[in-house]
Amino acid sequence: MNESLKKKIESDFKTSVEILEKNRWTTTVKKDQVLDVLRFLRNKGFDHLALISCVDWIKEGEFELIYILSSYLAGKERLHLILKTRISRKKPEFETIIPIFENAEPYEREIHELFGINFNGHPRLEHLLLDRDYEIPPFRKDFDTRKYVKETFESIKPVEEEK
Amino acid sequence: MGSKAKGQKKTNEKTSILSPFKAIKYLFKKPKTLRYPFEKKEPSPRLRGFHLNDWDECTGCGNCADICPNEAITMVEIPEIEVEPGKKNERPKIDYGRCCYCGLCVDVCPTDSLRLSKDYLHIHFDPKTFTSFAKDEKSDSEHFLPEEEYSIFKANLNHRKQNSDGFVSDLKYSLFEPERVKMPYVPADERKLSFIEQVIGYSKEEAIMEASRCLECKLCEDACPAHLKISDYIKAIHEDEPEESLKKIFEDNPIPSICGRICMKHCEDACSLSIRGEPVAIRWLKRYAADQVDDFQKALRQKPAESTGKKVAVIGAGSGGLSVAYFLTLKGHKVVIFDSLPGGGGMMRIGPPVYRLPTASIDKDVDYIASLGVEFRFNTTVGEDITFEDILEEYDATYLGIGATLSRSTKVKNADKCMLGLDFLKENKIGEGVKVGKETIVIGGGNVAMDVARESLRLQHIQHPNEKTVTKTVSLENWNEMPATEEEIEDSKAEGIEFNPAWGPKEVVLDDKGKVKGLLCKKVKKVFDKQGRFSPEFYEEKTTLLEGDMIIEAIGQGPDFSFIPKQLMNKLEFTERRKVKVDEGGQTSIPGVFAGGDIVNLNLDAVTAIADAKVATEGIDKLLKKTKR
Amino acid sequence: MTERELEMYFGPQHMGMVGNFSITLNVEGDRILKAKANPGYLHRGFEKLMELRTWIQNFPLVCRVNVIEPHSMEMVYAMAVEKLAGIKVPSRAEYIRTLTLELSRLASHLFGCWAYANMLGFDTIAQWAMYHRDLVLDLFEDLTGGRVYPIYIWPGGVRRDLPDGFKEKALNTLHEIGGKIPDYDATFFNNRLFYNRAKGIGRISRKEAKNLGGTGQVLRGTGVKFDIRKVDPYSAYDKVDFEIPTREDGDAYSRIWVIRDEMIQSVHIVMQCLEKMPSGKVYNRVPNPFKWKIPKGETYVRVESSRGELGLYMISNGGDKPYRVHFRTPSYPHGLTILEKMLVGESVADVGNIMMSLYVVAPEIDR
Repeated sequence: MNESLKKKIESDFKTSVEILEKNRWTTTVKKDQVLDVLRFLRNKGFDHLALISCVDWIKEGEFELIYILSSYLAGKERLHLILKTRISRKKPEFETIIPIFENAEPYEREIHELFGINFNGHPRLEHLLLDRDYEIPPFRKDFDTRKYVKETFESIKPVEEEK
Repeated sequence: MGSKAKGQKKTNEKTSILSPFKAIKYLFKKPKTLRYPFEKKEPSPRLRGFHLNDWDECTGCGNCADICPNEAITMVEIPEIEVEPGKKNERPKIDYGRCCYCGLCVDVCPTDSLRLSKDYLHIHFDPKTFTSFAKDEKSDSEHFLPEEEYSIFKANLNHRKQNSDGFVSDLKYSLFEPERVKMPYVPADERKLSFIEQVIGYSKEEAIMEASRCLECKLCEDACPAHLKISDYIKAIHEDEPEESLKKIFEDNPIPSICGRICMKHCEDACSLSIRGEPVAIRWLKRYAADQVDDFQKALRQKPAESTGKKVAVIGAGSGGLSVAYFLTLKGHKVVIFDSLPGGGGMMRIGPPVYRLPTASIDKDVDYIASLGVEFRFNTTVGEDITFEDILEEYDATYLGIGATLSRSTKVKNADKCMLGLDFLKENKIGEGVKVGKETIVIGGGNVAMDVARESLRLQHIQHPNEKTVTKTVSLENWNEMPATEEEIEDSKAEGIEFNPAWGPKEVVLDDKGKVKGLLCKKVKKVFDKQGRFSPEFYEEKTTLLEGDMIIEAIGQGPDFSFIPKQLMNKLEFTERRKVKVDEGGQTSIPGVFAGGDIVNLNLDAVTAIADAKVATEGIDKLLKKTKR
Repeated sequence: MTERELEMYFGPQHMGMVGNFSITLNVEGDRILKAKANPGYLHRGFEKLMELRTWIQNFPLVCRVNVIEPHSMEMVYAMAVEKLAGIKVPSRAEYIRTLTLELSRLASHLFGCWAYANMLGFDTIAQWAMYHRDLVLDLFEDLTGGRVYPIYIWPGGVRRDLPDGFKEKALNTLHEIGGKIPDYDATFFNNRLFYNRAKGIGRISRKEAKNLGGTGQVLRGTGVKFDIRKVDPYSAYDKVDFEIPTREDGDAYSRIWVIRDEMIQSVHIVMQCLEKMPSGKVYNRVPNPFKWKIPKGETYVRVESSRGELGLYMISNGGDKPYRVHFRTPSYPHGLTILEKMLVGESVADVGNIMMSLYVVAPEIDR
């Protein structure tokens, strides 16, 4: 059953499904195919969106969005499909997947805040974890944490002790 | 979602409004709360609290500071502690504002000096007291108090309990690997029948695995007399780049194939892992790097600097001579090496037998040094083929790397019937070969005596096969004083050599035909006097006869200064240990003449000669820059 | 916003709130019209910090993500590193890990009982639960050296073996806790007042729970038998017998009963582990921490924490530090999407009730 699913994904979307280890598949698709693949997988029974994550590949100048899908159904609940897609780092933009998976909302908000990727169609792209804007979104690889600490905290003068 | 469903009750759920009153019975029971601080709870034996450090055991290696995830430990120099090779005078200072009490520093500490205690209370007005040196009751009896004097009301980093070890290190769960990758040897029964090289050498996987044990604490670099960049070259081997590793070695040591086989490894004695385990096999990894690279020239691509026009003469192609030639050539000077042997290596060519140092390895290093532009004049004895004064005349500076080439003799009665150790080894390695008897006695307890004995054993098996043969040694020193290295003694015992420690030679006994029958020995009372100087005393009446048909003396060597003419010899100053006196640039009291190696230092090994050569290189370079010809 | 609407803040300082978390409520009278969750008080930036430390230096950092149940965080990190590096764990270590995880689940559920009962006003059982949790923390102190942050389960096995006398002490503690279950039932779980307060509050249907990413008690309270310990077994869970309790209604009452049943199952699992433990070593040494490089790869591992599915997505780039680390915590969908939907139409007095029964832990949301 799993073999036929693998073949169908590969033939329908012209991509190759790699098996990382038992029950963990991964595949990379182009960014305009993502919504179609997600709809297809939802219909096949993958109804549990575990995680939406993002990786900053600074040397290649791209962001990679990662969708980890699984299932609640008996018989398929061990299989995980890790769907990956790449978007450009200079103008990071993508579509929201809330119409397909309702619980994607906070994940996309977090990625917008920490990486600076804009999700078109998201109803509420406001601050989730941080309290203000930063020049470079903090989870990008060019955000220097030591420099930030020096500028923010070490510029505060220590309190004078009362003698 | 969200509408309240009133009054819906499942039939099998028994809810009641009176049942909670059962809890009233607890009103009459004793409360479980501890009345702290009057009722204390004993912390568990594994609690992770504040640090304890034994300053006598701690070597200052700094591994704890390297692994701390919060950078809470800094190594601070303590001037009161003496610096020894293998120990630094730094001790860890811990910032308890950053420490998260994870205990990784305890698991990585190689000496088991850093532990965590069961104290966890510190109350003080001054925030500076939250950063403190970790000590324990051995180094700080003022602040570590016995149980009766300790009070929890004054709990403080300066008011702590004695004997309160909590989380301690355990070798089964340590983060470093205490066991070494075993170096494959040819077994004793097989190797004693021929001169096959005893050490087989690491394969690539074994070398990478052994290199991965190094904790990069750099105590070995301080202990090495030549200060090689050991942790860098081991890192290069771990990343599978033997050429990069060789480049690092050649920055300080131009004879890795030789040193990788016979070095006295001061580094391994200082290695952090040697305290509770086996040290990293630094010497065998150097041998691996030198053997993996076939073509040194292609891998290293070293070019000497622009020629300065100055010429330097080096007398002796041993480890000191080869090194000073290498370093001076890279600085641009022209170097000529004179040696009376037919090839390079000096004492190492005739001394260590082939099963320890094959001649091909010596030639690999010497050929590379020759390819850099050094001129070798072999079979040239200074004093006979060319005089010392001519050398001083023709060259801008001279380096004496003559080594200790003359064997000493016990000078007992009929000692002229014995063979000297160095002559025995030389004849076998580059001469005609020596016929050995069936029962050989070797006088001496040092490494040269071991070499002689093991060589004699092999020759006996080759020359008298299928006959009963034995090689014995007799030495003044007892087991615990024997100057030979432990591994030499163990290997010799495994091959079947019989030892007779604590006996001194009295007389060589001859039979009526004038041939050697045996050695009459007298029992040793003691070898060293109270100051540690060599001054043996015997029980003259207690004697024993050791039977043998051949006796070889290997009790020590001395240098041969016969080539120096008398008027210069009078100018040459010696130290009170009878070594040539040199200044901090390596220059002797004769201007323009530099010296190093066995005639200058007390260690008497190859790597200290390289260290002396580096010192002399700087001295010679400075001198040559000043003089104009 | 009409004239009758009022916008008010619920917490971060509030009797009904555990952890630093606040909700902005739009209320009309006593009814809630709109709720907006405000996480972020506890954002410590773990995922960025972990990219700057080596594999073994990350290990004391991981347990601090979820303050109340640190063992499952360590377990998930150790599992991910072992998968990427190809390290095998000895079987005695698997049993010790299972034992530790189940004791931690017990301690976490007792903490949850304290929080929920305290919020509702049942202080007696709250104090009992805290006392029993203290006994379990004593067991952790003997085993690992730390009461709250154990720093014990690391890649390659566990850090030290069981100390002497641990088995007897653990069995005594479990008998004491197990023997008190009838008293707990009489005082709280079968109490009519609790039934009235919690029945029908915070109802969620099965379809909605699955849609919004619910796992753990939120899902099992609606009748779905989904537990990663049975679905995707890890460690020694396939070698011990236990059941998965579920309830049908999907409201706060069902969820709290599921928690109570799980506590009893945990006690059974710990007793079985102590019986069946094999002998042998407990640690397979990992390479030297200063020179350990893990080959390229990525992995997603998950465990069942006391609140739901806890996952970790980790990428290694062939170096000595992780390239990207992302925790999938169970409180993230519960505390953000499900909470906001569940609160609409409820009364303000029930907000704390619903929050506690959803079993949200604020540090997990913020990481």
